[in-house]
Amino acid sequence: MLAEARRRHLLTAMADAGIEHIVLYGNAWQGDYLRYAADFGILEGHGIALVASDGATELFLDSATEAERAEAETPGIKIHFAADVARAVGARLDRLANDRLAAAPRRFLPNWLADEGRDFALEDATALLDRLLMHKLPAEIAALRRAAQMADDAYAVFRDAVKPGRRQYEVVADIEAYLRRRRCPDNFMIIGSGGKDVFGMTPPSERRIAPGDLVTTELTPAVAGYFAQICRTLVVGRATDAQRRAFDVFREALAAGIAAVRPGATAADVARAENDVFRKHGLGEYTTSKWTRVRGHGLGLFCDSKPHLLEDVDTPLAPGMALIVHPNTYHPEVGYVVLGDAVVVMDEGAEVLCKTPRELFEVAT
Amino acid sequence: MRRGLISRSKAELPDAVLDARLAHVHAAMGEAGLDALLLYTNNTRAAGVSWLTGFVPYWSEALLVVPRDREPVLVAALSYRVKSWIERTSRVAEVVHGPRIGFEAARMIAAWKADAALGVVDLDGLAAGIVDDLRRSGPRLTLRDATPLFAPLRAAADPAEIALAMTAAAIAQRALAQASGRGASLGEIIAAVEAQARSDAAEEVYVAAAPDLGRDRRLKRIEGEAALGESFALRATVAYKGTWIRLTRTFSRDGAARPQEEAAARLAAAVAKLPSADGFAGFSSWLVEGCRIAQPLAPLMGSRVAAAHLLAPHALVSVQADFEVEGRPLLLAAPALLGARGEATSLLVQPF
Repeated sequence: MLAEARRRHLLTAMADAGIEHIVLYGNAWQGDYLRYAADFGILEGHGIALVASDGATELFLDSATEAERAEAETPGIKIHFAADVARAVGARLDRLANDRLAAAPRRFLPNWLADEGRDFALEDATALLDRLLMHKLPAEIAALRRAAQMADDAYAVFRDAVKPGRRQYEVVADIEAYLRRRRCPDNFMIIGSGGKDVFGMTPPSERRIAPGDLVTTELTPAVAGYFAQICRTLVVGRATDAQRRAFDVFREALAAGIAAVRPGATAADVARAENDVFRKHGLGEYTTSKWTRVRGHGLGLFCDSKPHLLEDVDTPLAPGMALIVHPNTYHPEVGYVVLGDAVVVMDEGAEVLCKTPRELFEVAT
Repeated sequence: MRRGLISRSKAELPDAVLDARLAHVHAAMGEAGLDALLLYTNNTRAAGVSWLTGFVPYWSEALLVVPRDREPVLVAALSYRVKSWIERTSRVAEVVHGPRIGFEAARMIAAWKADAALGVVDLDGLAAGIVDDLRRSGPRLTLRDATPLFAPLRAAADPAEIALAMTAAAIAQRALAQASGRGASLGEIIAAVEAQARSDAAEEVYVAAAPDLGRDRRLKRIEGEAALGESFALRATVAYKGTWIRLTRTFSRDGAARPQEEAAARLAAAVAKLPSADGFAGFSSWLVEGCRIAQPLAPLMGSRVAAAHLLAPHALVSVQADFEVEGRPLLLAAPALLGARGEATSLLVQPF
């Protein structure tokens, strides 16, 4: 079982590091550290897992509703509902103060718990957990493959859902409903529509889809907690020559980025390969932070995992890492364009998980 | 992460309402001798900052800096590219962007007054990395926990917030009405509920199910197959423009009539006695949730809540209850408004 495989992996890493108990924090924004050990997809409030070296795991939640849900969804884990979750965990750690304790991600812990005035000392185990989160087990990669298939299928639904006159949030409602019908409980999705006035993607607005719009989306369904992403752009109506020319740059950049994915390369190498294409076409300015956030990122139990693909991130790539390579940015002639595929680093290079063609799709007006 | 509609309507959240809320905060800061107040927000703890500005982050985190004598400034970890989106969906005087929001906020406050008295709402619960950055970037700032200052101001709902809760409840009612069809699978039912809520402009909807109440009354998020029993329950947790409610209904798979009216009457009678818990004496379990600081639906009192919080007059809450009618389990939940000046607490909408 996937959760059990992860927990065994964590216990081995704890033993290697001499850690006797580890505290893992999570909330609905960034729940991957918590989910790695507790296999609970938190939606509300704070959650803290306490994992002992023998594998015994306790989960502390400050939402009574979430505590009841965790009891139903995570058999084998002892659930504690505590309105003040930091002090509840602190009381537990007071009894373990002579053991070697660690926490991840330490910077997210409630301030009271991380305070150096406590009777217990928490080492920072963020780097240890980051390694586990980035370097995936075969069962984790299998879940990502299923999630990527879900992303491809959902994008096909998205193409059908985009119609002139529909509001952005109505389009997103169709996608979420499709995913729930497929028993997929979670998704991260942002959208953009329009022309040169659009500089990025956001949650859906009331804006209506109009003929001639470029419609962009980043669609990221989760299977068993693992998020796989696809980024595509479509045109409402026939694409103009300028839109086609612009899209060709993104297609070339994505291909260059994926070609750079191989063991031993760094995150920076992939970002540089993408950005070099833009520089070659005189669009280097649009690879800067003014116009784009990252050129891709890790995928896994969080939809924006490490490593971020940027030219100053020297994290080496290794087999078992999962990434989205996406040279998304603003193009001065047509507006914001996105194109990205989820990939897994294999011994021989990248395995591309997304099967949707890298086309500038056209939908009927 | 949010993927429903996030927008600000000045008709639903007028500037005058935000002005009035801010005036209350400024007055309390003056009495407490604070130079600035700091509120944290992310997509799970958004209800403090959204109450003052309308801002709801779909992702990432931010700090709202409320100076005693200036307009609030939002320090956001979101990138500069979404500045215009923040400005469209909220009301803040200025948006500052930076990955280390504690560092940026303290630098800004220290530039105004190096030894400012800074009140931090939920200081104990704020992320340790942010507190470290506040201390590093503003070494002469005095940090105080401002939870006792802020919580009483946030507790009572004004007419604008009640109206938003009514809209959220109406969305949830229409959404759960989609579940009454016979013969559908649980996945199809949940999809229909969620499609309706999101098409009705919900900012967020979480649907949880107890697929077979005869076997397990606990509500969970469904992934994979789950067979429906003779009776099942669905809970829709709905957000609309920053205001959250829960609505739970019990359904029969065969569509047969259930003792809904009697159950609703029992829930309404128990709710009417709030803030007293006396009305819930015969229930298997119950829970009252509402916003105390920034978590939209924090536990306030209930059968599992050891230390109950005092429910303020005119507080918006959602009440969940588990009880039996004619020997059959029933789960119900609905939002309610606490009474004031002798008025009874009442449900905002009927759960059916």
